[in-house]
Amino acid sequence: MITRPAIVVFCLLVLASLAPVGTAFAGKDGPEPIVVEEPHYGEVLFYFYQEDYFPAIVRLLAAQEQGQLEQHAAQADLLKGGMYLSYGHHLEAAEIFERLLADNVNPEIRDRTWFFLAKIWRQRGYLDKAQQAIDNIGDDLPEDVRREATMLQAQLYIDGGEFDRAIALLQDWKGKTEWSRYAQFNLGVALVRSGRMDEASKILAELGDIDPWNEELTSLRDKANLALGYALLQSGQAHAAKPLLQRVRLEGPFSNKALLGVGWADAELDRYQRALVPWMELRGRDLLDPAVQESMLAIPYALAQLDSISQAADHYLNAIEAFYEESSRIDRTIGHIESGLFFDEFISDEPLDSTGWYWRMEALPEGPEARYLFHLLATHEFQEGLKNYRDLNYLWNNLDRWQQSVDVYANMLETRRLAYEERLPRVEEALSRADIDGMVQRKLEFDAQLNDIEQSGDWLALATEREFEMWGEITSLEKTPALSANIPEADEVRDKIKLLKGVLQWGLEKDFGERLWRIRRDLRETGEALVETQRARRQVDDSMQKQPLEFRAFDERVYGLEPRIEVLKMRVGDAMAEQRAFLRGIAVGELQAQQRRLDTYTVQARFALAAIYDRASTITEAAVK
Amino acid sequence: MTRNLLMSLAASFALAVAVVPVLAQEAASPEAEAASRDKFRQLDQDVQSLKKEVLDLNRDLFLLEEELLFPANSQVAFFISMDVGEYFKLDSVNLKIDGKEVANYLYTDREAGSLLRGGVHRVHMANLKAGDHELVAIFTGQGPHSREYRRGATMNFSKGIGAKYVELEITDRVKKQQPEFVIKEWE
Repeated sequence: MITRPAIVVFCLLVLASLAPVGTAFAGKDGPEPIVVEEPHYGEVLFYFYQEDYFPAIVRLLAAQEQGQLEQHAAQADLLKGGMYLSYGHHLEAAEIFERLLADNVNPEIRDRTWFFLAKIWRQRGYLDKAQQAIDNIGDDLPEDVRREATMLQAQLYIDGGEFDRAIALLQDWKGKTEWSRYAQFNLGVALVRSGRMDEASKILAELGDIDPWNEELTSLRDKANLALGYALLQSGQAHAAKPLLQRVRLEGPFSNKALLGVGWADAELDRYQRALVPWMELRGRDLLDPAVQESMLAIPYALAQLDSISQAADHYLNAIEAFYEESSRIDRTIGHIESGLFFDEFISDEPLDSTGWYWRMEALPEGPEARYLFHLLATHEFQEGLKNYRDLNYLWNNLDRWQQSVDVYANMLETRRLAYEERLPRVEEALSRADIDGMVQRKLEFDAQLNDIEQSGDWLALATEREFEMWGEITSLEKTPALSANIPEADEVRDKIKLLKGVLQWGLEKDFGERLWRIRRDLRETGEALVETQRARRQVDDSMQKQPLEFRAFDERVYGLEPRIEVLKMRVGDAMAEQRAFLRGIAVGELQAQQRRLDTYTVQARFALAAIYDRASTITEAAVK
Repeated sequence: MTRNLLMSLAASFALAVAVVPVLAQEAASPEAEAASRDKFRQLDQDVQSLKKEVLDLNRDLFLLEEELLFPANSQVAFFISMDVGEYFKLDSVNLKIDGKEVANYLYTDREAGSLLRGGVHRVHMANLKAGDHELVAIFTGQGPHSREYRRGATMNFSKGIGAKYVELEITDRVKKQQPEFVIKEWE
């Protein structure tokens, strides 16, 4: 028995499935250490701790099937739920939790688990299930997780278009913590989406003026300023929009859009010279950003307003060329993605053993398409779709390996059967020669004989061969006729014979007890050996009887598993193709949207250029006239 | 005209920005979003169901493999475990059964870490005849003060009819501030 302190299963669950929520919990409650009572349970933990969830689950299922986890039955089920969740098998995990969490589980763990399930289900688009999970949460979440759960609830309301409920939930959020800022922002979002722009503006204005203490809040502040700045710009309040847009950092995810907006604010106020400053700054930035693309049209627009017609024409021409090149690159990228090569590269870049819920792709495979698809990684659908694709690839490889192994097992089984059939006649012949029943009968006869000897005290029966011969010689000498003569010599010989006989008898009588004990001991050992032989014989008979059945059973299992593997492999292959098509659809859709935007800009640039040429020719004609 | 067109693009972008933190898809309509979400969910459900079936199949294959390669009457499994592990950092284990080397396992940091946390590693499976056998295990790694450490442990064990499990446990002997290597057996 293994007796070693290990980490309590609840703690395992926290580590396995609730880690992203907050690790403080693991140490806070000081879970009682448990001992690993069964090696197979420890073996599951060995893989679990390495985050190799697939082999860990397989071992746990196998050990449960074989009844090897009796000492850990309840813990094993809970661990299984946690591992399913970590492996991304969330529907199965939820079934286990629904069954187990109703019982005597620490309420905080129960609430955390429901919260985590809700989070996963929202990420995976199971909004109804996410809502059910949230509804299951009681009052036992720690404060920080409680805030996150409330935020999740608000996001679910927004997802479902229930903006008023989201607003009601978020507007009472008090305090100036990080979470309250997120709540404020989402409240702004809900208000915008429900068309209450004035209220949204107030919220966003307050958020845009905060003094952030970390990167996330700085980013949130930028976002609020940007959203409000553009909203004001759109409603013709360029003057008010500009300072808000200027609050956005110069280097950051929203800087390009802010610079573009600052330029537009100046342009709205007819300050084209000023507008050129932020737009020119954008010229050197990544052309993939729509703000940069738009600035390529805004610059010549401002130049034209400043009567720099020739410069404006040059800029329009540059923009048309740049858009054309970018569009061609996007075409090539679409071709690459549609050929399926992109997804092959994605799989080949990923180690096969990387599975699990916490896996997150940080970078796409190197290549021209990575640049275009980078922001897709931030979307749940694309990330989760990639996870599924990677998991399917793992399943496919797993089945492929098993397929080869099962072939080997089929051969091995055949070889074993042949060897058995070859040996069987020899064994049968040897067994037919061995008369075990006869031996047992003889042993029983010996027992009876020995009992008679003991009862009658027949010491002569236990004499050795030599002693028996001597006894025979003495008794035959005794009967010699010459010794019956009544002469002193005969008397002397008779006395000697009597003495010899007496000595021999005395010796035999003296040794009788010991000899009897020895023979009994030998007989007992013989009996034991015979019992063992009978048992072995029964085993051989049993095995001869069972072996063909075992071969048949193994045959059925091996040959029954082969088609199961084949069918599953095909289904996994089909699912991979479908998943690939889904991801390809998202990626290509994204690229085509980028291309459409470039096309729109190109058309605008051409129109503007034509207008400039018209204007120039009109001026020239007027001058000639 | 150009200005109006550009500004309309900028304006549509403004609303999109506001929605970014809640829904990342910028340009998709709610209907398209819902359709995409439904498609994703349908695919995800297929993947979930395949995962379950492949896991069940793996369980069956795992059991078949074990029963075929190591029948219960001759099966002996050797496990490595660690208790505490303050005085020893495991690098490798070498096993000899009846004088014959059967396993030489090098541990990665991840595996050694897992042992420290309570995991138990099945280092070797063998088929042995009923009767007496000798096991020699040699552990190498880093001992106290990060010194190279190599220690052996020997045991004689008897194999009966059923499967047998042998545990090689590395524990700490606190008094001597040294690791201790213990071999245990259980049926």
